[in-house]
Amino acid sequence: MWIRKNFTQPAPDTGDVAHRFLSRRTIIGIVAAATLLPATPALAVQLHGAPEGLYVHMLAHVFYFAALLFLLLILKKKPPGHSAAWRNFRLALVFFLLWNTDTFIVHWLASRLPETAFVGHSLWAHRLAGPLTPTRWIYYLGRFDHLLCVPAMFFLVLSLRRLCRETESRPPTTPGDGP
Amino acid sequence: MTASLPLWPVYIDDFFGGVLMIILAVAAFIYARRLTRIDQENVLWIYIFWLCTALVVLAVSRGVGHILRFLLVLSGHDAAWNFLAPYSGGINTMAITAVAVLTFYYHSMQRVIARVQTDARSLTRAHDALTELNQTLEQRVEERTMELRLSEQKFRHLFEGSKDMIFFCDSQARITDINDAGVNLLGFEKTDEVIGRSLKSFFLDQEQCDRYFRILHDQGHVKEFEIEFARRDNSRLYLMITTSAIHDDSGAIQGCEAIAKDLTRFKEVTDQLIQSENMASVGQLAAGVAHEINTPLGIILGYTQLLEEDFAGQSEVFDTLKTVEKQTNICKRIVADLLKFSRNTVEGIKKAADINGCLEEVLAIVEHSLNMDHIYVQRSMSSGLPRVMVDRERLRQVLVNIINNAHYAIGVEGIIGVWTSYDPEFQEVEIVIGDTGCGIPAKTIGRIFDPFFTTKGVGKGTGLGLSVSFGIIKDHNGSLEAFSPPRQQQFLEAGMRTTFHIRLPIRPEGAHDA
Ligand SMILES: Nc1ncnc2c1ncn2[C@@H]1O[C@H](COP(=O)(O)OP(=O)(O)OP(=O)(O)O)[C@@H](O)[C@H]1O
Ligand SMILES: [Mg+2]
Repeated sequence: MWIRKNFTQPAPDTGDVAHRFLSRRTIIGIVAAATLLPATPALAVQLHGAPEGLYVHMLAHVFYFAALLFLLLILKKKPPGHSAAWRNFRLALVFFLLWNTDTFIVHWLASRLPETAFVGHSLWAHRLAGPLTPTRWIYYLGRFDHLLCVPAMFFLVLSLRRLCRETESRPPTTPGDGP
Repeated sequence: MTASLPLWPVYIDDFFGGVLMIILAVAAFIYARRLTRIDQENVLWIYIFWLCTALVVLAVSRGVGHILRFLLVLSGHDAAWNFLAPYSGGINTMAITAVAVLTFYYHSMQRVIARVQTDARSLTRAHDALTELNQTLEQRVEERTMELRLSEQKFRHLFEGSKDMIFFCDSQARITDINDAGVNLLGFEKTDEVIGRSLKSFFLDQEQCDRYFRILHDQGHVKEFEIEFARRDNSRLYLMITTSAIHDDSGAIQGCEAIAKDLTRFKEVTDQLIQSENMASVGQLAAGVAHEINTPLGIILGYTQLLEEDFAGQSEVFDTLKTVEKQTNICKRIVADLLKFSRNTVEGIKKAADINGCLEEVLAIVEHSLNMDHIYVQRSMSSGLPRVMVDRERLRQVLVNIINNAHYAIGVEGIIGVWTSYDPEFQEVEIVIGDTGCGIPAKTIGRIFDPFFTTKGVGKGTGLGLSVSFGIIKDHNGSLEAFSPPRQQQFLEAGMRTTFHIRLPIRPEGAHDA
């Protein structure tokens, strides 16, 4: 998602700004990463890596989707428990599934949107330009993906908290116990 | 501009969503870690832990990306953002992939573990079963050992405590084990002295031995077989033996186990009984004959004496008649003796008498004639013997009989030993008269008390001496026994070949009634 944004964001020429940023804030990780980079302009690397990265990223989402579906299936087939904790866990998985679907669609739509679909120069002024076709609407709404992944994470936390309480109140199970 | 949509709500959503995602992911991670801490071996928790770890990475990389972009772009550092963005995206991809891989991997792990678990469970079951088996085995072995020990104790006790001889032999008929009673019966002191000896070496009679082993071999057992064993001191041991052969799996004789009852004493008693039976019947016969002969003898004697008066002048006829009278008198005496012996009713007067004194009286009479033949009397009389109720006259007769026999057995040159002693256990006085004479062969020793049994030539002896003596001692409730060779060491050492033992109870039953 970020990679795509990288590209779709209007990138004003701020080379010296980057220099300033790097000299001002010497975050060790960033310096290390920067020294490892080839001496070619950053733009060139991104041009080459971009499509691959995007595909890999999208495939990862598909992979993740499949894994979640699979996990949901085995949980259904052999439920490790029937408490509220496990209900929450499943709910979290469902939200993650939805989020995955959402992000995948957004990635895909974004790759098909022309550069001209985005207008405005400052962050606050960024806009999704018309004509507002259903695709653009879907893209726009899909961008609010945190409305899906935050609940997913929330239910996960809820489920784990309950599991913690349940487990603490009974003796440890035998090795490898689970669904 | 009317047909376009502002993107800033999206950025706001990204910003706060990113922050929330980081917080929630960290919270999830903390809970997941707590779960793994509680139960470190639960794969599900381990999976969730790694899932949460990957989610933290995802949330941080993504959230930080959102936030940084927001801040960087807002502050005009777009280039810096452009530089960082691919790293953030890459990490996201990796995190997502990791989560997916973990999920698939978790399932396979789950199956492997389920398999391991069933294996472990069956192993545990097997182990439990084994443990239980082991325990019950131990217990059973213990119980059986206990039973065996008790049983062994029981049989040991039976074996060792038995008054009968019990022994075991190997296939070569060598004694492998024998109880104490057996050892004593055979005249030994220690078990070790008997173990290893051949059973055959104890048999007195080879033919009997052969028969015994033949029966054992043919029938596998010998039941109540009467045998004669030689003791260590060569004395005779009558045994009634019952033997069973021990076979191995192939049916071959491995050895035998036997139990033998000592019949020596029983045999002696029965022999004596037979003896007295014989004597009783012979006595009746003798009494009848004596009675019938007595009358004609009296008539012969009467007429002879009448004739003597008639022929008093003719010395030749008179002498012949005197001889007839003398021989008739001898006959009368023999008949009288016979009557005395047979009736046993000739109840003399029994008085308390000193046995040593009695012996001395007899010796005083016979010693002179003994000395003539160079036979000397060796006295070993114990002083202070209790007085015994006896008919002195008849006891003297017994002693004379025995001493005469000894004289005859020695011939010339020898010793006659005389011992007296008191046995407080049986309250009996014992007189032993031994001689260094020819001895009595084992074959005939059983018959010497029979009436008319004699080894002397015709006309020399009647064979009544010992049977009459036996009757007299019986009449005193005593016993008369002969041993050749003597049983006791002291007589053997004194050189005796034959000993006669007279035992007289100091207060014979019925003595008071008489
Ligand atoms: N001391 C002895 N040593 C060896 N043999 C003996 C002895 N005493 C007895 N006998 C044997 O016992 C037999 C029986 O003895 P017993 O006194 O009864 O009769 P006898 O001596 O033969 O005859 P009798 O006594 O009438 O002269 C004897 O013939 C003799 O063979
Ligand atoms: Mg005699």
